[in-house]
Amino acid sequence: MMVPTPYYVALSSVLLTIGMVGVLTRRSAIMMFLSIELMLNAANLAIVAFARQWSASGAETALSGQAAVFIILAIAAAEVAVGLGILVAIFRHRVSTDVDELSEVRL
Amino acid sequence: MSSVVQWAALAPLLALVGSLINAFFGRSLKEPAPGVIASLMVAGGFVLSVLAFIGLQGSDHGVQVTLWHYLLGGSLSVDVGFMIDRLSVTMMLIITGVGLLIHIYSIGYMHGDDGNSRYFSELNLFIFAMLVLVMASSFPLMFIGWEGVGVCSYLLIGFWYRDKANPDAGRKAFIVNRIGDVGFLLAMFLTFKVFGTLNIAAVNAAAPGMLYGAGALTAIGLLYLLGATGKSAQLPLQVWLPDAMAGPTPVSALIHAATMVTAGVYLIARLGAVYAMAPGAAGTVAWVGAITAFIAAFAAFAQTDIKKILAYSTISQIGYMIAAVGAGAYWVGIFHVLTHAFFKALLFLSAGSVIHAMGGEQDIRKMGGLGRRMKITGNTALIATLAISGVPFLAGFFSKDAILSSTLTSGLLAGSGNDVLYVILLVTAAMTAAYMFRWYYGIFAGESRVDKHAAEHLHESPAVMTWPLGILAFGSIAVGYLGLPEFAFPNLIHRWLQPATARVDFNELASSTDWWLIGLSILMVAIGIGVGWWVYHVRKGAPVAGLKDSTLAGASRGALGFDALYRILFIASGEGLSGGIAALDRDVVDRGLAGIGGGGTVLLSRLARLAQSGFARAYAFAMLLGVLTLVVVAALTGVLK
Amino acid sequence: MIALAVIVVPILFAVVTGLAGSRRRAALGFGLFSTLATFVLALFLPGSSGISTPWIPGIGVTFTLSPTGAGSVLTIVAALTMIPTVLMAARRVERDPGAFVALLLLMQGALAGIFLARDLVLFYVSWEAALIPSMLMLGTFGRDKRRAAVLKYLVYAIGGSFLMLISILAIKPLSGAASYRFTDLMAATPHLAGATQVWLFIGLAIGMAVKLPLWPLHSWLIDFNEQNHPSGAADVAGTLYKVGGFGFFAWAMPLLPVAVNRVGPVLLGLAVATALYGAIAAAAQTDMKRLLAYASLSHMGIVGVGIFGLHLAGLNGAIFLLAAQMLSTGGMFLVSGMLYERKGSFDLDRYGGLAKSAPALAALSLFVLFTFIGVPGLANFPGEFLSLLGAYQHHPWAAAFATLSVIGAGVYGVNLYQRLYQGEEREASFDVGALEVFALIPLIAGILWLGIFPSPQLSRIQTQSQLIATPTASATAEAPAALAAAPARAGGATDLLGSTGVPGEGPVAPDAPLGGSR
Repeated sequence: MMVPTPYYVALSSVLLTIGMVGVLTRRSAIMMFLSIELMLNAANLAIVAFARQWSASGAETALSGQAAVFIILAIAAAEVAVGLGILVAIFRHRVSTDVDELSEVRL
Repeated sequence: MSSVVQWAALAPLLALVGSLINAFFGRSLKEPAPGVIASLMVAGGFVLSVLAFIGLQGSDHGVQVTLWHYLLGGSLSVDVGFMIDRLSVTMMLIITGVGLLIHIYSIGYMHGDDGNSRYFSELNLFIFAMLVLVMASSFPLMFIGWEGVGVCSYLLIGFWYRDKANPDAGRKAFIVNRIGDVGFLLAMFLTFKVFGTLNIAAVNAAAPGMLYGAGALTAIGLLYLLGATGKSAQLPLQVWLPDAMAGPTPVSALIHAATMVTAGVYLIARLGAVYAMAPGAAGTVAWVGAITAFIAAFAAFAQTDIKKILAYSTISQIGYMIAAVGAGAYWVGIFHVLTHAFFKALLFLSAGSVIHAMGGEQDIRKMGGLGRRMKITGNTALIATLAISGVPFLAGFFSKDAILSSTLTSGLLAGSGNDVLYVILLVTAAMTAAYMFRWYYGIFAGESRVDKHAAEHLHESPAVMTWPLGILAFGSIAVGYLGLPEFAFPNLIHRWLQPATARVDFNELASSTDWWLIGLSILMVAIGIGVGWWVYHVRKGAPVAGLKDSTLAGASRGALGFDALYRILFIASGEGLSGGIAALDRDVVDRGLAGIGGGGTVLLSRLARLAQSGFARAYAFAMLLGVLTLVVVAALTGVLK
Repeated sequence: MIALAVIVVPILFAVVTGLAGSRRRAALGFGLFSTLATFVLALFLPGSSGISTPWIPGIGVTFTLSPTGAGSVLTIVAALTMIPTVLMAARRVERDPGAFVALLLLMQGALAGIFLARDLVLFYVSWEAALIPSMLMLGTFGRDKRRAAVLKYLVYAIGGSFLMLISILAIKPLSGAASYRFTDLMAATPHLAGATQVWLFIGLAIGMAVKLPLWPLHSWLIDFNEQNHPSGAADVAGTLYKVGGFGFFAWAMPLLPVAVNRVGPVLLGLAVATALYGAIAAAAQTDMKRLLAYASLSHMGIVGVGIFGLHLAGLNGAIFLLAAQMLSTGGMFLVSGMLYERKGSFDLDRYGGLAKSAPALAALSLFVLFTFIGVPGLANFPGEFLSLLGAYQHHPWAAAFATLSVIGAGVYGVNLYQRLYQGEEREASFDVGALEVFALIPLIAGILWLGIFPSPQLSRIQTQSQLIATPTASATAEAPAALAAAPARAGGATDLLGSTGVPGEGPVAPDAPLGGSR
């Protein structure tokens, strides 16, 4: 028996919201990254759920949805690698990872 | 004979050519070449004027010579053209005739001055402009001559520019003239509005068909009067003429006695048809003339400068002319222009002769008894003095008498108090005789107050200066006979000018009344001369010696304080206004607008800068908000289907 | 074709001259050749044909030039004025005269574009294009406070132009015209609603008012003139660039007549204020350049009076004055440059008595000065006279006030002359050299030509004036008819002449015998 899609979407939105709140309220850079990952994976969940729902209409729809998840996972990994690299570089300068203190990025 | 008349259109050109020759080549010419050239040009103009005079003997109408098209604007069309009729020819004869004599005189007077060629260039330019003024067939062209003579007057008054007082006097003349010019301009605008044309003949032809006493006609008349008061030094714009005496004396003779200052009289005479239809304006003209005549005569008594007395006398005499044309007696006004040109030019030139002989002295308190050493000058000056006083059988008598009786009998002035006008002019006649006697006696007769050093220098002027004096003296007697009293004698000048001027009704008086009036004016002259004789010759000036510091004398010397009043009212406030506006512009308008622009920009940028906090989370939140807004809007507008 | 040449030739020569850089002889040679050639070409404008080709078809912009009408008159006079300007600039600019002359030539090309364009967008492009050289002249070659002056100038000019651009872009779609060509716009704009016309007009008006200049948007002009290069050449270019009046005349007013009727009186009032304000403020100045700036502001006020008076005579006169003041105001600025050569300052207190050692300069500058203050017979007078007369016909009081500025002109003009030339001399100076005489001759010739024979130019201007809807269009029949109908007016007095009465009576008795009247 298939779990109905709305449940997956609901779970996905809950995860997204948790991630969003995490990004907005956390001060530590690493925790912000964590929350961003959470949001990405929430989006992944939603894509997979819809891929499964529309799989009845054709094999490519299901497969392209799942392929998209892989692409997103890869991009997420790359982005985290770069971001952590920048963070380490900053950490070497300032010891702290508190985002609020990094407010010199101003235009 | 109209072709002969047409040639008169060349007269201004001759003068212009003379002016240009002297302007460009004058400095390389040796004296007296500049003066001779200038005089020849004016002589040529005189010859042309005489030919035109002869040519117009038979015909009533003048000749219009149209040269080229000048202005265009919708229904407005103005040509450069001349109207040579009896009125303009009369003025041309005066301008070129008296002008020629003064040019010749100047050859002697300006001998040795290093601005000699510049002088003659400007004098010729003046003749050009004045001729254009009297010959113009349209108002804008007349205005070109009108302002042109103002420009020349400015240049010639300030001729000896090294001394700042002279150009300052010229500036005063120019600016007061310009105030009058505003009147002339507005009059032209209104004339176009009412008549639809700026051609003088057309306006004169249309005027009788207009509403008698219409407000617009009166306004036109008053505005032209304002222009005339500026040019002719009448109330309220008379203050420039006494200062204008700073210029060389022949200039004073030509410009500020015989010609430029009579331009206002000419203007009103030329527009007689309009004034004849606007009794309000005509009455104002007459009153302005009469009051000015009186005030100027009053002011002449306390002056001590040989030329200033004559200046006030000029203002006064022009007042007579203005009163005449205001009364509608246009030929009378021009007649007095003619006679006045002769004896006033003569007075000025003899004054110049005296100044020349006295090495530059102009204060009459340092003169006296000069007639014994300068026979020709003295005798001609005497003739001129008698003429201006209105002594019978000399020119001034005839013209002044004509003025007096025309103001009394004018139908145009009926109801404007022309009896009072007559009395004012009559009393002024007595004053004229008196102050002119003082002038003559103080300079040429009586005891000599000349100091020793100047006395040695004293000599009669050279022939080039005395010949013009003689000719003018002859004219000061003979010219009057052109206008013998009409009730008993043939009047040539009236008949001559009649076709060219508008007709106005005058009351006829009984023949005996006319004789009584003549007797009355002779009586006034006798009173004036008699008082002068008694005070200065018999009592040697004792009765007035004590008056020197009185308020009456002060009022006279200051010409009733108009100058001082204007200085406070206009000059001081003008300078204040000027400085105020300049400061206002610099500090308020400039800084204000710049402040708005600049300050506004700074404010906006400060507001914008608040968003650039550098806080990453703030940026993240902003992104979130943005996305949410987009989603909501998309959902609401149904973009997502 | 000639119209195109008049624009292209200066621009080409500008490039060449710009490359000459600091080589003075080359700058002089190229510049003089270019200006003379342009002037000769310009003389052939009347009677030549125009151009009209599509330029940006997508939005309906064409490249249309028309050599007839007022634009040709202004182009010819501007070309004449450029000759002495380039001459003086090439000789008097200390470093990089080639660049300066190149900028002048660029301006000339752009100005020709403004005057001859008959496509609204082309007009705007030229309008803005001329801004760049004048800004560069001020910013690079100006005096010590030039930075502030340039900034002010740019803010005013661009601020105004921005609003103008909005109106320009809006006018075609709103009116439904086929393209931006004048003829197409004229056909389409009658369909615009009154309120729309007013808003479009206001947008155009603000941009043009800055360039007129009209009070209170004039402040840029004062510093512009004061800070420009002392030779006066850049100021002459600035004078040529006072094209606001032309903009109103050629574009804003013919296209939007309803707006003109509504907004016109306000603009007329501002123009009167400008005329008086400029003259009054000029009288108090002690810096020669500022004096000339305020004085020329006053003249432009009269141009405004003529334009907004909405009478054919006034419109003719206003554009004629615009042309004439190129020569007279330009001439005055060049004279001021010549005076600066002698005394090194524009402060009037330093001058006096120059007539003694420089009599020819005194005479020449007196001639230009008298033209400048409107002495009849010289170039400014026909323009001033017609402007004021035209305005008087419908707005007598406004015109009367504007006429008062004539007195102010007398005051500042004569004061200027006297402070410079009369009185005692402080230190000896030198009279005009060949350069200066050659520079002033074209201007004097032009002044005489325009002053003595204004009529041909006026009729050319009138062909364009007639495109503006004026109240007189219907009333022209009345005035001559009033004359002709004089005898027949027994019963009905016209409203022109006030109260009722019986015409033709009074002291004037047509055929009275000689004895009874005088």
